[in-house]
Amino acid sequence: MSQDAAPHAPTSTGIDHKKLIMWLFLASDCMFFGTLISTHLLYRKLYPTGFTDAAGHQQFIQHLFNIELTSFSTFILLMSSFLMALAVSAMHKGELKSFRRNVLGVIFFGLIFLGCQVYEFTHFFHEGLTIQNSVLGSTFYVLTGTHGTHVAIGILWLVLMYFYSFTGKLGGHVGALDVEVAGLYWHFVDIVWIIIFTAVYLVEYLGPSGIWGDGLPAVTK
Amino acid sequence: MSHDTHHAPVASKLDLAPERSDLGFYRPDRTTGLFDWLTTVDHKKIGVLYGAFAMLYFLIGGVEALAIRTQLARPDQTIVTARMYNQLFTMHGTTMIFLGVMPLSAAFFNFLVPLQIGARDVAFPRLNAFSLWAFVFGAFVLNASWLFEFAHLAGWFDGFAWYQALVYTDFAPANGWFSYAPLSGTFGQANAALQSPRFTGVGTDFWIIGIQILGIASLAASFNFICTIINMRAKGMTMMRLPVFTWMTLFTSFLIILAFPAITVALIELMFDRQFGANFFNPSAGGQPVLWQHLFWIFGHPEVYILVLPAMGIVSEILPTFSGKALFGYPIIVFSGAVIGFLGFAVWSHHMFTTGLGPVPTAAFALLTMAIAVPTGVKIFNWMGTIWGGRVRFTPPMVLALGFIWMFMCGGFSGVMHSSAPADSQQQDSYFVIAHFHYVLLGGVLLGLMGGLYFWFPKIFGRMPNATVAYVASGLVILGFNLAFGPMHYLGLAGQPRRTHTYHAGNGWEDWNLIATIGAFILGIGVFTAFANLVWTAFKGKPCSSDPWDGRTLEWSLPSPVPEYNFAQSPVVATRDAFTEHKHGAKRISYEADGGEAGIHMPSQSWMPMLAAAGFLFIGFGMPMMSMGVPHAGWLVITGLLVLIAGIWLWAVEGPGGYMLKTPSVASAPVATPSVAPSAH
Amino acid sequence: MFSRIISRVGLFAVPLLALVLAGCSKAALTVRQSTLDPKGPVAQVQYDVFMDTVWLVLVLFFLVGGLLVYAVIRFRARPGDDTTPIVEEGHGNPLVEVGLITASIGSLVFIAIPTLSAIWYTDDVPVEAVPKSKLAAWYAPAAGAPALDNAVAEQVLEIDVIGKQWWFRFEYPQLGLTNDAKHSVPNELVIPKGVAVRINLRSEDVIHSFWIPKIAGKVDLMPGRKNHLWIQADQVGHYYGQCAEFCGDSHAYMLFRCEVLEPAEFAKWVAAQKQDAAPVAAGSKAEQGKNLFAVKSCVMCHNVGGHFGAGAFGPDLTHLASRKSLAGAWLDNRDLKAQRALEQTSPLGTESSVEVDRATLKANLIKWIGSSGVSHDANGKPTKDVKPGNRMHYYKMFNVAGLRETKQEFTAEELDCLAEYLLTLK
Repeated sequence: MSQDAAPHAPTSTGIDHKKLIMWLFLASDCMFFGTLISTHLLYRKLYPTGFTDAAGHQQFIQHLFNIELTSFSTFILLMSSFLMALAVSAMHKGELKSFRRNVLGVIFFGLIFLGCQVYEFTHFFHEGLTIQNSVLGSTFYVLTGTHGTHVAIGILWLVLMYFYSFTGKLGGHVGALDVEVAGLYWHFVDIVWIIIFTAVYLVEYLGPSGIWGDGLPAVTK
Repeated sequence: MSHDTHHAPVASKLDLAPERSDLGFYRPDRTTGLFDWLTTVDHKKIGVLYGAFAMLYFLIGGVEALAIRTQLARPDQTIVTARMYNQLFTMHGTTMIFLGVMPLSAAFFNFLVPLQIGARDVAFPRLNAFSLWAFVFGAFVLNASWLFEFAHLAGWFDGFAWYQALVYTDFAPANGWFSYAPLSGTFGQANAALQSPRFTGVGTDFWIIGIQILGIASLAASFNFICTIINMRAKGMTMMRLPVFTWMTLFTSFLIILAFPAITVALIELMFDRQFGANFFNPSAGGQPVLWQHLFWIFGHPEVYILVLPAMGIVSEILPTFSGKALFGYPIIVFSGAVIGFLGFAVWSHHMFTTGLGPVPTAAFALLTMAIAVPTGVKIFNWMGTIWGGRVRFTPPMVLALGFIWMFMCGGFSGVMHSSAPADSQQQDSYFVIAHFHYVLLGGVLLGLMGGLYFWFPKIFGRMPNATVAYVASGLVILGFNLAFGPMHYLGLAGQPRRTHTYHAGNGWEDWNLIATIGAFILGIGVFTAFANLVWTAFKGKPCSSDPWDGRTLEWSLPSPVPEYNFAQSPVVATRDAFTEHKHGAKRISYEADGGEAGIHMPSQSWMPMLAAAGFLFIGFGMPMMSMGVPHAGWLVITGLLVLIAGIWLWAVEGPGGYMLKTPSVASAPVATPSVAPSAH
Repeated sequence: MFSRIISRVGLFAVPLLALVLAGCSKAALTVRQSTLDPKGPVAQVQYDVFMDTVWLVLVLFFLVGGLLVYAVIRFRARPGDDTTPIVEEGHGNPLVEVGLITASIGSLVFIAIPTLSAIWYTDDVPVEAVPKSKLAAWYAPAAGAPALDNAVAEQVLEIDVIGKQWWFRFEYPQLGLTNDAKHSVPNELVIPKGVAVRINLRSEDVIHSFWIPKIAGKVDLMPGRKNHLWIQADQVGHYYGQCAEFCGDSHAYMLFRCEVLEPAEFAKWVAAQKQDAAPVAAGSKAEQGKNLFAVKSCVMCHNVGGHFGAGAFGPDLTHLASRKSLAGAWLDNRDLKAQRALEQTSPLGTESSVEVDRATLKANLIKWIGSSGVSHDANGKPTKDVKPGNRMHYYKMFNVAGLRETKQEFTAEELDCLAEYLLTLK
């Protein structure tokens, strides 16, 4: 929605300023998430045995994870990306109504994802994984929480855009561009989640005893 | 959206009726005075503001340095307490790096890049203003810790319950600019209030939030500059015709956007450790303090090149101008800049040779560090090649540029000594290292930046600094600098560790410390003289021609001071060093009347960037005050977040505005007369 | 104009050069913490590599620097010269560029090879040094002491170095000198001459760094991590070391010493360390001091073998009066005038050291203990901290909430008695 790059002369590269700056931001954000994910993986490798709960029992992260739920929320987020693509395409065609419908869908799916994350955090917290009782808790909550914050910012952005579309000022080439830039951000946040889902959740289920080789006992939940 | 608010071009913004933004508010439309400076979106004015703040912080950091040197002049002195000394060197380093050199480089980026590429502004003028104000507020937050410290020392807090409950009473940061965990972090189990036992007080929290805000400012500015350079070049200005300073700006900006995320994450993790009892760097819970060092130096080493590359760019502009010859090996200079930037990400662990990495990583990083000397050497060779066969005219900028090469070369040589890890194990954290990086960052970067100031000052203000004063100041700086830091090579080899607030007599360090202190004061006088000279020139200096040095790049083709629209008509260039070719060669710059009858589109001023950045001011004070236990300080943080969001939202919906400016007919004829034989004056 | 500048700079450069040359005198190279005066193979190797870099850099300096000066002078614009720029795009000269790059890489290989070999050499006790350095080869327990365990006898001597804010604790687990056994050695490391010793580095709080410049370059003590280095000193003497990583308020006061003894002397020293403190004479000031030691909570942190055994947090004081320094080696217990005189005659200050001076030690003790609690000098002013932030302030140090109000108070009389008591701990 930021319309700083007022209609300008054709750019040297032909890429619009706003699109270029979003790509640059995403490059920077790659390093940001890269650092967070590395922190998590390094500590997972160093301390493969999970965490100790308040009662002093050794706990395994696999017992905590509800992989079905997380897979569901991952799917939802992916679908929201699909709707985002439809919204961008609608905007390019100037179909404002279709745009609004799709953006509402994106917002709704994004909220479902956030809801799942809130449920997950509460659940884990009650199971004994806190930010304070282990390195695992610290890296897990800060990594996934930071991603959640990205999703929340995206939702806020889209909500504002949705309402702005009613003022009649969101339209034409500039409007389509603004939506496209928001779409870039949204897709990026989704892609990052795929990586986090793989690196944080899925790898714990590789092989008979988890990728970190911690001798995971049979699940007795 | 309403860039077409005013269809008929006007001679001056003030000819217009006050413009209403999409929100219905009047937009600021002054062209002079305080409100103009606060709401400006003109890259040249923003550049000047960056420069002014940078010089202010240079002086503050310099005073801190002199306090440090005074304390160390003689053994066993107690002029400042141990803690005050630690705060002084922490703030000296942080100030010089983040509030001195980086913003001064940013001043050059802002002022020069659009002029050099033939553009009318940066890609996002309001984002540019936001970067400036975020920097200003971040710098203020960081330095406000001193105010808290002095209030604490004066006993003003004595009556407050939160103050009496404080365990640690350091209010200004005292961890060094590197803030190694766990000294800056926590150790032990968090208590009921979620707070883990720490080693330091709220000074560290001020540092964390201050650097975080400054990081956001730098990131926003860098996105903007990359966009500008890639997207807004004039016709014919291909990448391989870009002035080298613009190239170095591009590399620096890329380094910033790729390196700052690492420190951002590290600071977030450290903040979670301190505020919420997380365990990222808490050794008693399995956290690895060495991770902080890795994250810090993955940022910290590219940061060194973030500081150096702009100065290299400046020198690469000054040398050809005063040698009367094109830069020798332009493609190689550019390419070596890229290689330095790339390798800069692969050598961070040479700051950690003594942390017990093991032989294989140590060997790898030692070799990579040696490798980075090659592109650096290439630059020096090419600068010499530029002088070779030319006609070297001595002017203050040229003398400073030559000083840069010389000092930077010396700093590079001691850098080669560090690259050998076994030798480094004796030098690490000793005064030898201090000598090394001051040769690079002070002898190198500061001389380069001063050269840049003397070089472009006539362009910025249309006035020429007094050359005699400039020579005297440069002489004092070079002399004082060598006297201060030359002996430190010896002190380091004689075993004096850095970051120690005092030392005993009998170790053989006494005499050289005294000499270093004398040198530091001479250096201080020199820098002050140079800055005073420049400030005086800005207001009262002798007006000069628009091209006093016989400059080579597009900015010299413009009148001084540069009009707000930069180019009355957009230039079309046909060669590198376009203006030299234009004046002395066959290929002239042509101009296309892109604006035509419609005039030149100018962006409207705005309060919103500053409003959004002001959110950081609240957050910056709120977070450390929460950490102090000041009641209701959390509301300050929430207010800050709301101000930030509101600022961005209003910014978005107010629209870019804009008006059309009629180009004065006088300016529409580009300056084309070759200047008279330029002299030092 | 430029020649004027050169002559001005030259005016300053001459005395500066003279100063530099004066600084290169032998005495300047052998100061207490000099890295240019190696006394063992590790420091020697590091010094050799350093000198390789120095020679390379000197050559480059004169080559490149000379060329630069030549270029600037040779190609300066003389009055009357036409300074119109040469209009020609500078492409450089590929042959020159490639040649210079190759030459740079070649010169770096010159330092890369010794660097790599030294990295592996300094990492851990080299295999060839083990036979002569294993305990069985040089260490004979004092008469009456139990013989070494067979497995231990085949190992080289290992010393654990534990860093704390702001002092070092040294433990010799193979020889029974550990904190758990109530026989640890604070601040003054003692090693045998001529054999390799493995140093294990641990930290109990923040990062510190272990550095005895004449014996070995530094390695950090990282909390949560096990670092190590090896050292060997080939000359008997008193060496000076210092913490080299910034570690908080009193970082500058975190020093230590290293005494290098002949192997036989070393064995005697080990036996002496295991001795308990002698009983104090009844009715003496020292006995009053001993009581104060308990009453004033010193006993909570400090171990005194044979007298008080509860303390484990602070430095072991059993042999306090035999140590040449106090308070993390910041306060020197020797007669410094005599020591300076000795260092004048024997330029290698590490080779010898005068013995502990009783009066100096007592003055130091009163200063140190007094400043760490609340006491007043002759003018009624509170004494200045010898070491700001040190834990001697806080006898209730585990009660975090009340840290700032828990200083001990001492009268001059009490300080005197305490000092008298501590003086008996030899």
